[in-house]
Amino acid sequence: MHITRCYFCSGPCYPGHGTMFVRNDSKTFRFCRSKCHKNFKMKRNPRKIRWTKAFRKAAGKEMTIDSTFEFEKRRNVPVRYDRNLMATTVKAMKRVQEIRAKRERAFFKNRMAGKKDQERAENVKILQQNIELAPTASQRVKNQVAKIQEQKLDQMEMDN
Amino acid sequence: MGRLRRSRTHHGIRDNSRKFRTRAYTKDLDQIHDDLKGENFAKLKSQPIDADKTGLGQHYCVHCARYFPNDDQLQQHEKTKLHKRRVKKTLEEPYTQKEADAAAGMGAADNGKRGGSSHQSRNAEDVKMQ
Repeated sequence: MHITRCYFCSGPCYPGHGTMFVRNDSKTFRFCRSKCHKNFKMKRNPRKIRWTKAFRKAAGKEMTIDSTFEFEKRRNVPVRYDRNLMATTVKAMKRVQEIRAKRERAFFKNRMAGKKDQERAENVKILQQNIELAPTASQRVKNQVAKIQEQKLDQMEMDN
Repeated sequence: MGRLRRSRTHHGIRDNSRKFRTRAYTKDLDQIHDDLKGENFAKLKSQPIDADKTGLGQHYCVHCARYFPNDDQLQQHEKTKLHKRRVKKTLEEPYTQKEADAAAGMGAADNGKRGGSSHQSRNAEDVKMQ
């Protein structure tokens, strides 16, 4: 059984599911569902549609270069059935999956590394700009904001 | 304030749904990308006279895959935003099924070696990873 990949979203197209479009130059396009087919007919570029795998890879949101991607591929060479080979292959598939999941987790963690600090800085900025709107803010928060502003002033003076 | 209008209310626009039927299919960007290559481009620019085509098929815009009735109109068209936007799109590297497969984490197809089956050993290599 051959599971192809959707032209648009790169999801799996199982036999009996989705649509195949054959263009008048006999090139075939497979789609996993009507959503992908419709988007294709609108001539959208999958690289620019945020929910496709192609976008996520092109925008650096997911791991692109990795040795674990070398295992899943179409093999057009017949192999004689061999029980041991089958067993080891299945074992290897599981192991590859494990390794890939681990690397993906590490990649995500790395990508999100500066996120917390960035969010905090943004929040502080909003607070500084709109401090008068928060009359009930606790004294602690007000003190914090005042302290940060003071630090900023000091730094500006130093710079000057 | 939250959203006041219901979303997805445009599905019933008849002209749009008709425009996107495969019956009214226009050239894809990857086909046009091929058309732009030297030889093809010259061929499309100097087509034989065809009475069925607009302007006898003599005034063709390759980027937009459109025939115009005369040269004036073609030149006017080339000044439009529509054309300029299209040019930008056609110059990009076209998207392929290969890219879709790569995005899904699939490698290039293995077609084996010519004139001999060395597949057994190759498979063993695969299995041995790590």
